[in-house]
Amino acid sequence: MNNPLKMVVVLTVISALAALLLAGVYGATKQKIADAERQDFLKGLTTVLPGFDNEPDRDTLTIEGKTLYVGKKGGQAFGYAVESVTAKGYSGNIKILVGVSSEGKVLGVEVISHAETPGLGSKIEDKIWRDSFIGKTAGSNITVKKDGGEIDSFSGATISPRAVCEAVRAAIAVIGKAGGAK
Amino acid sequence: MKLSILTEGIFKNNPVMKQVLGLCPTLAVTTSAINGIAMGLATMGVLMGSNVAVALVKNIIPAKVRIPAYVVIIATFVTLIDLSMNAYFHDLHKILGLFIPLIVVNCIVLGRAESFASKNGVFDSLLDGIGSGLGFTLTLFVLGSIREVLGSGSWFGINLFGSGFSPAILLILPPGAFIVLGFMMAFNNFVEERRRIGRGGVQ
Repeated sequence: MNNPLKMVVVLTVISALAALLLAGVYGATKQKIADAERQDFLKGLTTVLPGFDNEPDRDTLTIEGKTLYVGKKGGQAFGYAVESVTAKGYSGNIKILVGVSSEGKVLGVEVISHAETPGLGSKIEDKIWRDSFIGKTAGSNITVKKDGGEIDSFSGATISPRAVCEAVRAAIAVIGKAGGAK
Repeated sequence: MKLSILTEGIFKNNPVMKQVLGLCPTLAVTTSAINGIAMGLATMGVLMGSNVAVALVKNIIPAKVRIPAYVVIIATFVTLIDLSMNAYFHDLHKILGLFIPLIVVNCIVLGRAESFASKNGVFDSLLDGIGSGLGFTLTLFVLGSIREVLGSGSWFGINLFGSGFSPAILLILPPGAFIVLGFMMAFNNFVEERRRIGRGGVQ
């Protein structure tokens, strides 16, 4: 009963069956997962590039190693979106998506991922607050009011909004270079 | 009696309240009621699958390699649930994604495989999986509800108290999980002790 060969055979058979089953399910769900992830990303792009009628996730430019998503309406480029990451959040990286129009005005900011404190720093997800960036340009003072800027911070949480401001400034700078290169 | 296998896991032998197993997901994901339910149901799916599979193969597995064999079986079911959840409940998966793979090391699952499914028939093992899974889900749901209502002022994402309410943020932070779980266990023990005395037990 306990001979070593049987142990090897039984474990191998179980592992092989498991591998077979997993391969099947992986193949069956792969496309669906990729679609869901793309939908997610497009939803984010809709917020920061309102009104595009192309496929910005496939229509991209590369500036200084950063990928810019081009939003077009009727074949005419009207804005660019770029992912911007900052490590200055309260905990972990904050990753945002920023859309800027061809005139250099911010069209929208979307938070992709963060690990800020729920209930405090996590308010950076709040749409009304994110919308306060709309219309800002490279010339605006995009810092929190505590630092003398134009953006509100939350009571009890200044670090997270400050980090987002920095990420937005970085995104505007990158997209500004794209505008010059055009 | 078959039904007692089912209720055993929910009340008398509740995985969290009585066996105090699987505390990592219990404490980590219960920041809202929906997270608790989703984590509970995912664990229940794994428990049912692994209990049935272990009961099916228990006679052909040599005793010396049973633990690795169980771990392979459990890991397979966890990955299946992880992939299908990602494909069909993508938004929920984004919240729970980090914790789903951790079901593999949830001691409830290996515990039930080792202490129940390896000694009982397929049908009984399925019942035990459902029972333990429901008990786990119920506990996570109650814990998640208390933390969400007091810590975010909402339930299932619906705002309960209006914007003037200032929630106790502590309760949705990690320490809140320990505090609420402690109170739940104390309450549970209190009720059971009362019942026991009521039946004429010694104080």
